[in-house]
Amino acid sequence: MSVLIDIKYSLRLLFKAPKFTAMTLSVLVGGLSISLFTFSFLYSTLYKELPLPGGATALALTTETIGISMNMDPNQNLLSAYEFRQIAKTQSSLIEFGLYESRDARLSFEDTGKNIPTTYVDSGFFKFSRTQPIMGRTIQQEDMIVGATPVVVISYETWQNELSANEDVLNMSIRLNEMLTTVIGVMPQGYHFPGVAKIWLPLNQSQLNTKQNTSSYFTAYARLKDDISNEQATKNLSAVLDQLYQQSVELYNQPEAKKVIHLRSYPMEQVNGIGNTAFIFLNAVAWSILALGCINVGNLLLARSIERQKETAIRAALGASSKRLISQLMWEGVIITIVGAILSILLVGAALDYTEIMLHSWMPNSIVFWWHWGMDKETLAMAIVVTLVTIALSAFLPAWRSAHQDINTTLRDGTRGAQSKKAGRLSRLLVTIQVFLVAFLMLIGALSGYVSQSFINLEIGDDYSDTMRVTINLPINKYKTPQEQAQLFETLLDRIKSDSSVIDAHATTFNHFPITLSEFDYDDSRERQSIDTFTVIGDTEFSGIKLVAGRHFNRRDKIGARKVVLISQSMANRYWPGESALEKNITIEVEGKDESLYIVGVVSNRMNPRSIFGKLDSEDETYISGLQFINPRQRIYYKTIKGSVKTEGIFYRALFEIDRNIELAQTVQPAERNRNIMRDSMRLTSKVIFGTGLFSLMLALVGIYGLTANSVAQRTHEIGIRRAVGATDKNIINMFIKQGGRQLITGLGLALLLFALISAVFHEFSVGLIPVYLYFVLASAVVICLSLIVMLAIYAPTRKAVVMEPSSALRYE
Amino acid sequence: MSALIELKDITKTFLTEEIETRAINSINITINKGEYLSLSGQSGCGKSTLLSLLGLLDASTSGTYHINGVDVSSLTRDQRAKIRSEQIGFVFQSFNLISDLTIFENVMLPLTYQSGLSKQVITDKVNDVLAKVEMSHRKDHYPSQLSGGQQQRVAVARALVNDPTIILADEPTGNLDSKNAQAVLALFDKLHQDGATICMVTHDPVSAKRASRCLEMFDGRLIADNANIPSHRNSVPSLEAVELAAS
Ligand SMILES: Nc1ncnc2c1ncn2[C@@H]1O[C@H](COP(=O)(O)OP(=O)(O)O)[C@@H](O)[C@H]1O
Ligand SMILES: [Mg+2]
Repeated sequence: MSVLIDIKYSLRLLFKAPKFTAMTLSVLVGGLSISLFTFSFLYSTLYKELPLPGGATALALTTETIGISMNMDPNQNLLSAYEFRQIAKTQSSLIEFGLYESRDARLSFEDTGKNIPTTYVDSGFFKFSRTQPIMGRTIQQEDMIVGATPVVVISYETWQNELSANEDVLNMSIRLNEMLTTVIGVMPQGYHFPGVAKIWLPLNQSQLNTKQNTSSYFTAYARLKDDISNEQATKNLSAVLDQLYQQSVELYNQPEAKKVIHLRSYPMEQVNGIGNTAFIFLNAVAWSILALGCINVGNLLLARSIERQKETAIRAALGASSKRLISQLMWEGVIITIVGAILSILLVGAALDYTEIMLHSWMPNSIVFWWHWGMDKETLAMAIVVTLVTIALSAFLPAWRSAHQDINTTLRDGTRGAQSKKAGRLSRLLVTIQVFLVAFLMLIGALSGYVSQSFINLEIGDDYSDTMRVTINLPINKYKTPQEQAQLFETLLDRIKSDSSVIDAHATTFNHFPITLSEFDYDDSRERQSIDTFTVIGDTEFSGIKLVAGRHFNRRDKIGARKVVLISQSMANRYWPGESALEKNITIEVEGKDESLYIVGVVSNRMNPRSIFGKLDSEDETYISGLQFINPRQRIYYKTIKGSVKTEGIFYRALFEIDRNIELAQTVQPAERNRNIMRDSMRLTSKVIFGTGLFSLMLALVGIYGLTANSVAQRTHEIGIRRAVGATDKNIINMFIKQGGRQLITGLGLALLLFALISAVFHEFSVGLIPVYLYFVLASAVVICLSLIVMLAIYAPTRKAVVMEPSSALRYE
Repeated sequence: MSALIELKDITKTFLTEEIETRAINSINITINKGEYLSLSGQSGCGKSTLLSLLGLLDASTSGTYHINGVDVSSLTRDQRAKIRSEQIGFVFQSFNLISDLTIFENVMLPLTYQSGLSKQVITDKVNDVLAKVEMSHRKDHYPSQLSGGQQQRVAVARALVNDPTIILADEPTGNLDSKNAQAVLALFDKLHQDGATICMVTHDPVSAKRASRCLEMFDGRLIADNANIPSHRNSVPSLEAVELAAS
């Protein structure tokens, strides 16, 4: 009964001050929503179990060659078939262990076709995923034998969308990679293991039974034996793998490194194992924002409880127990928090649904099948925990503090007892914490905003608009000699160029070779500089790498002719400043062999950024003739006339006219696709960061304004006394600014300290992506901006209190 | 005799929620140096308001006000603050000490708002007045640790510390028991003997009698101004007194 009275009383108070209630509520809902959304999104992304029977124990087995960058080793993270066989023979940690490879296949119809995410699997794959087909059978040992009938298992979605849900789908023949393939099974709806697969083809036995030097590379799946820990298994398997790798370093001249194994859950593997760090970091940011919100709400409620201090003291004097008093004061906070929590849950639910729709439509073939975002029981549980914590922080504490005041002091002193002194101290501490949190968020936000902006706006120096890209791998058993391989690529490029909508085409490979220029001394004598080296068949003019002097490659730059090279302008300027680089010689170590090359052309600069954290590399680039340094794996680019349609088809027609059995390592796709996806996601990230930063700044503004206004209001009487004994307006405003300044400096100082620490780590990690002075610029900008805002938030309420006549201030209670 | 303070035709009107209250209605007073005035009258008749006007805590609606021959009715806020810190000493009914400051700091407050005083001078002055009110031994305590009488003595010390031209006291004994009240009144007597100019609001006719000049107010008007003559016991003024004021 008494509780009901308390609730009714609290409700009346809340409705009586609608502005206060609305402000408190919006601050709370903002903070709660941000932290809940972050938690839910990351939890669903990283920690949800694979939604398959036995999904919790399914592990992805990947490798890492420590000491070699991604670019040096195209097989980084993968396991060779040879290594797999050797490990499988001796290992005793795994009960299930197999290989698969994910890459697109082309599904062709009469006159059109499309790329379908495909996984090539071994016979244990479907058993590993503990899933039965809803129709037909899965891939068996005999499907993998050389010469077996080509078969395919399709997903429910492929059946429904690509094959019009045909009832007689089993034993139907479809054209996959221009091969008539029999459908043998349909998997259940939603099954896309190991990630985004829409169809499954058998791996070929011949690919698996190879020697190390001719081996293909795969991803592996694995399941641990019951009695072994992940750490132990990782250790055992890594030891075997590294031994194998060291052999191939010796035998096949592989780069020296240490090769280890990672056994991770599929969700963790999807984010390269950085999941834990990301989860902790992003949650820390989100929780900081919630803390800001809590501080504000707590403060607002504290201000209210101080207003009612005298009432509380009178009640206590009349015999109310402190339990009763706390309950009475708490209800206001409890009601606000619960209403805020309900609103947040609704808001977060909607935001998660929107995220689900947006991400799935934005990147239909990159969102793995277990990624689903929405309100779930984990998020609800977290919401309850967060709500309880918020109640404790923002409602219980002020109530407790207020109920445990010294009744005597309060009654004797009115609202101006030693209690308000304590409250003042608490409120100052809160301002300090707020300044610290906001400054920290702003610093981190500014840093990451700068990084993503600089990446978005990066001028690479090339132009791949209206350009398609495809990677092919020539079968070396068919095209044995370099001459044959070169011949094929030339013919293929000619065929592509003969299409009326194609402007130009070239084939290229990327390498990172050591360079020596015999005429020059190196400052760095320890090791020779490595340099980006591309082989090119055709010319690069259409892709934006333009001729500055000399000539492009032509058909005569082939094996037997003098070996030639093009260099970038920055390189020409570096080594031959003020003179022409043409007709000079440079030496590049191509695949372990020193090659003396004759410079025939200078081309425009181009950057080759490896990752956002990789050093934005120098613009020194060399191009060597693809007809002299021949690689069976080439990436082909072709540019079409603006507005051309079905430009993928141009390549497929050209290739199939020449040889139907050439394997695509990557299907035809717009050359800028990856870059665009990267930029889009950067843009989104940068917007989210900006929004979050702005929200936290707004929180701080509201919070500090509220805290100061509250402290000024509480001190109105004191201001009256001070004015009565001669204080000027300036004296009073100075007093508050000085006090706020102290908190500002403390909070900012702590945040800057932490930022300096993080910057140092980041600087190290990003290999100097951001010049050092920029950290200072960012920090100064944040300091100035925040100082202005804090000062404004302090000045405004003080100014208001000061205009009051001292006689009125003295009457103020 | 030089007129220290001269009020001419002072009126003060309060506007609250469209209701006009005329708290002070064309009052004329001249106060000379060394006078000890008592101001009495019914509750709500405008005594505190008049004191606020005298102390420059508020501005009058109309009329002129001179202190030491200077017209202060048209000064800026800062100029008025300067006069408060240098020439006025205030004692309130509810003491109005700042609870976060020690006794010493409270007393020091008016001096911190004056410019050009050395630390030593300030310390000496504060110790001086604290000794005068016999509160030196409590100077490091906080107001809440003192009894009401002690707090009021500290408040008097604060009012004295800047050697004010006039001391204004608004019912200084209103919150005190009779023993403490006597102590405070004795303090005022002593200050008066030392030559201070004092204006004290009081309900109590006995206290009023200690003053050298007794003023009486009714409904915003001054209805009696008697040198050394005790005011009437009853708070309702005589008819002839009202007529006198109206004329
Ligand atoms: N700040 C104010 N706002 C509105 N009315 C006021 C204010 N101060 C005083 N009054 C009114 O002026 C009248 C005189 O008040 P006051 O000077 O405090 O009386 P006293 O001190 O004689 O008891 C009262 O009617 C009071 O309500
Ligand atoms: Mg009064």
